[in-house]
Amino acid sequence: MNENDIKQLWQKSNEKLEVVLRENKINTEDITKLKVQNLLSSMKPIKAFTLIIGLIWVIGLGSFLAILTVFHFEKVSIFFLFSAFTQVLLTAVAIVVYIYQIHLINKIDFSEPVLTMQKKVSELKISTLNVTRLLFLQLPLWTTFYLNEKMFVVENWILLLLQFVISISFTFVAVWLFFNIKHENQNSKWFQFIISGKEWQPILHSAEILYQIEQFDKYE
Amino acid sequence: MINDDELRKKFEQIIEQHKGILYKVARTYCQNDDDRQDLVQEIMIQIWKSLHTYNNSFALSTWLFRISLNVAISFYRKNEHRKKNTIPLPEELEIMYVEESNEKQEMLSLLDMFISELNHIDKALILLYLEEKSYAEIAEIMAISITNVGTKLGRIKEKLKSKFLKLHL
Repeated sequence: MNENDIKQLWQKSNEKLEVVLRENKINTEDITKLKVQNLLSSMKPIKAFTLIIGLIWVIGLGSFLAILTVFHFEKVSIFFLFSAFTQVLLTAVAIVVYIYQIHLINKIDFSEPVLTMQKKVSELKISTLNVTRLLFLQLPLWTTFYLNEKMFVVENWILLLLQFVISISFTFVAVWLFFNIKHENQNSKWFQFIISGKEWQPILHSAEILYQIEQFDKYE
Repeated sequence: MINDDELRKKFEQIIEQHKGILYKVARTYCQNDDDRQDLVQEIMIQIWKSLHTYNNSFALSTWLFRISLNVAISFYRKNEHRKKNTIPLPEELEIMYVEESNEKQEMLSLLDMFISELNHIDKALILLYLEEKSYAEIAEIMAISITNVGTKLGRIKEKLKSKFLKLHL
């Protein structure tokens, strides 16, 4: 089979396709009635729900902490305040970054040239991994919020040693994940273990497209 | 300023005259009828959403190929949420092929299968080539140089030919 045979074969199938299409009219009116998607409706319900819960958490806990700091500062453990404030701050930053990225993805112009648009959209989708990286930075905070000054006495050395080991381990894991969760590591087992499930498939799909574009550019 | 009714008429006219592009792209990127229908609808929605940005500096077919290919490459399977927002297309549209001799039908299936094995970017290139687009048009649609179109297409054609050859065809 040579080049012309392949072309003829394709044309043949197109002729048949034209015949079938001519006999069918598409109801374009229905399409034009479809609402143009807004940010929230374009998201999967589970993501929209998570986002709303995150916002409630940031606003609720943030306000509670602000009240504690202003009116009861002396009575509250500094470890609790620091851990909770940092956690709220990281969650808030992650939410803002996420909303901004979704907004940028929704604004992408599909009539741009294929490689330009695909590179842009793939990079943007993959960058939503940054939100996960930010959220992992919270890990050590969950090992410090319950501490208070009274616990730091010599009698508690075993407990404190254990606490130190746990906090350092969580910090190490959090920082390591922060620097290593990137699409270049998508074939690693640990990456596939963390980034698995249906929700992550579009990001993996984008990573695959980006890889193909990079390979394509490499041989230009 | 174009009003909604005029925009709708323009949209219907474009879809009516160029629906072949949508189906050919869907055929290239999706293996089953459900996905094809979903993809065609996704493309139509994106055309409707982008219509107000269309200007005459590009040929309409170039603009349509860009949108269709961009949607097809980004298209990631259907999901329950999107399914609820889709409108069923006429059932007859599922029939992409009419009766043909067994041998020709087999060759067509093989061609479709070999194309489906290509990566997303190569699929777009071979589709545009088979649709007899010039290298300049392909370059404009894809955002690559004309020389590069030739080089890449040469490799893809070789790949397809060798697949047929392996089957002694």
